Amino acid sequence: MTIITVNGREVEADPARPLIDACHDNGAHVPHYCYHRGLSPVGSCRICQVVVSQGDMPPRVVAACRTPVAKGMVVNTEAEAAHGARKECLEFILKNHPLDCPICDKAGECSLQDNAYAEGQSECRSVEPRRELAKRKSLGDVIVLDQERCILCSRCVRFMEEVPQTPQLAIVGRGTHSRVETWQDQPLSGNYQGNLSDVCPVGALTLKDFRFQARVWNLRKSASTCPECSRGCSVTVEVLRDGPVKRIRPRHNEAVNGYWMCDEGRLGFHEREQRPRLAAALLAGASGLETASASRVIEVCADLISAAERPLLLASPFITDEEAELLKQLSASCGARAAVVIRDTESADADTILRTGDPSPNRRGLTEAGLEALSPAAAAAALGEADCALLLGERSAELVGFEALCALPVKLRLVLLDSYAPEGEIPALNACLGIPDWTERPGTWTNIDGHKGQLLPARPAPNGTRPLTATLRVLASILAESGTPTAADIAEEATR
Amino acid sequence: MALVKRKELSLAEKLYLPEIARGLSITLTKMFGKSITRQYPEEPLPTTAVTRGQPRLVERQDGHLACVSCGLCEAACPAYAITIDGQETDRPIEREPERFEIDMLRCILCGFCEEACPKDAIFMSSELELADYDRASLVYGLDQLRRQRPALQRRIDYIHGINERW
Repeated sequence: MTIITVNGREVEADPARPLIDACHDNGAHVPHYCYHRGLSPVGSCRICQVVVSQGDMPPRVVAACRTPVAKGMVVNTEAEAAHGARKECLEFILKNHPLDCPICDKAGECSLQDNAYAEGQSECRSVEPRRELAKRKSLGDVIVLDQERCILCSRCVRFMEEVPQTPQLAIVGRGTHSRVETWQDQPLSGNYQGNLSDVCPVGALTLKDFRFQARVWNLRKSASTCPECSRGCSVTVEVLRDGPVKRIRPRHNEAVNGYWMCDEGRLGFHEREQRPRLAAALLAGASGLETASASRVIEVCADLISAAERPLLLASPFITDEEAELLKQLSASCGARAAVVIRDTESADADTILRTGDPSPNRRGLTEAGLEALSPAAAAAALGEADCALLLGERSAELVGFEALCALPVKLRLVLLDSYAPEGEIPALNACLGIPDWTERPGTWTNIDGHKGQLLPARPAPNGTRPLTATLRVLASILAESGTPTAADIAEEATR
Repeated sequence: MALVKRKELSLAEKLYLPEIARGLSITLTKMFGKSITRQYPEEPLPTTAVTRGQPRLVERQDGHLACVSCGLCEAACPAYAITIDGQETDRPIEREPERFEIDMLRCILCGFCEEACPKDAIFMSSELELADYDRASLVYGLDQLRRQRPALQRRIDYIHGINERW
């Protein structure tokens, strides 16, 4: 560590990192467009200029992203010279930047917009027309490019070269004709294109699926963990007006995913958002499944388990560590076999960057908790052997397979606790109860390397669902010999 | 306990008729004088450019709304009366509102939306009347909010005048 002075305060700085990091880490505001912590610095936008003096050298204006930290540096980020240099840079950047903030999806989270408000001038001194380029150029299935908005920071170019290491974008042309393009307008490929819209400091590269979907300040953002593979990337789930998930973005976590996430994790929520939810408590009656109260379903479920000789508790790998703990307690209190459906790792889906190819986000947490891992086929066989089965967790019915479930003998007492409605009628189904999905409940998933990823509820769960933790607790306490809870106990559990 | 001694009435007062005549004479003079009653709603209130009536959206000459659904009015609205969803267009102006709702029961006619709008797309009209049989029909959608520009021109000129003075 090297000691330098930032705005009059002596701080420790990492000599391996550029000066701009030392400024940011110590609370100094230095704007930056081309610089990104996850990418190599190039110093092309020059907006990060600060005043540095060292020893007997007179103070100089330098670009903080391309200046290595050196012992005894005195940095002033708020000097008049620094502000002046930054303001002039900003004027050049804004010279060709269109005034379409009201239309631009980046507005509200755009550092160029923020800086223009903070430091820029309200009037353009240039009398030349702004350059006219392609406004909506499709770059494949994920990204749209607006060349007019581009400020040529080259973050996207460096991202493609350095992170997925599949260089596909380049800045072509010279001077005012420079623009970002792909070779012969070929579409982008790869599983990491979505990150381009995150690294773009302006609204030049935007996500096709998020285009004009919402204004970013209307989105409620909450920290969560990606459910698509056992990497468990830290993500932010963004929800519009407590309703649909509109966007999922990576959240910086050096231990797991750095600044990035794959497109499958980013776009996977669309398919699930469209699935019909199971948001009801249903009991088998004379005319098929009939609506019942949640506490009645739980009572029936407890009766079925306690009457069974070979009960089976079969969980999906989407249950959290907390739910797994309660599942173990339940299995201990009723002597049931507890298992989890784990699909095989598809090595074709894996890559060397983030994707593990293992579709079970909490595989490690559940196996470490001591739950028996069963393949979908083995799970179907285990269901066939049992006389009462509780199928629980998000997507549990889908993982066992609807065909396998429909083929189960009718004498099996099957209870389903799932987020999604089963496709078609399952003859063995005796009761079902909706549970919140991964965006609606708190919990922890343990990723493949043992890191705990947190889930936080991003939106309220739909009416008619009931947290799995509450249901498991009630079931365990009914089935434990310590005493039978009353309806009041169940109501109290439900409000927890 | 004090006793209130009532004033003795004069003969004219006891007769009652002169007072009737005096009252009727006032009625008669008012009947032929200038009327101060307004026959609302047949005779609507006069409005001026300063009148801040219900907000309306400006339709441009090409038939499209001037609104690009940027959401600034939604953000500025202190009563949370506005809800906007945008959609993509094929025109050079890339976005237009798919849904633009103003809950007129929430709207407090403050004019913040007009002030926030960067596109001259929403203005406070001179329309003041608001009545219906249920609440849902007072959430105005695009069809009810859309107005040709001439209908709002007086207000638009007034606001532009204010902005120039600033």
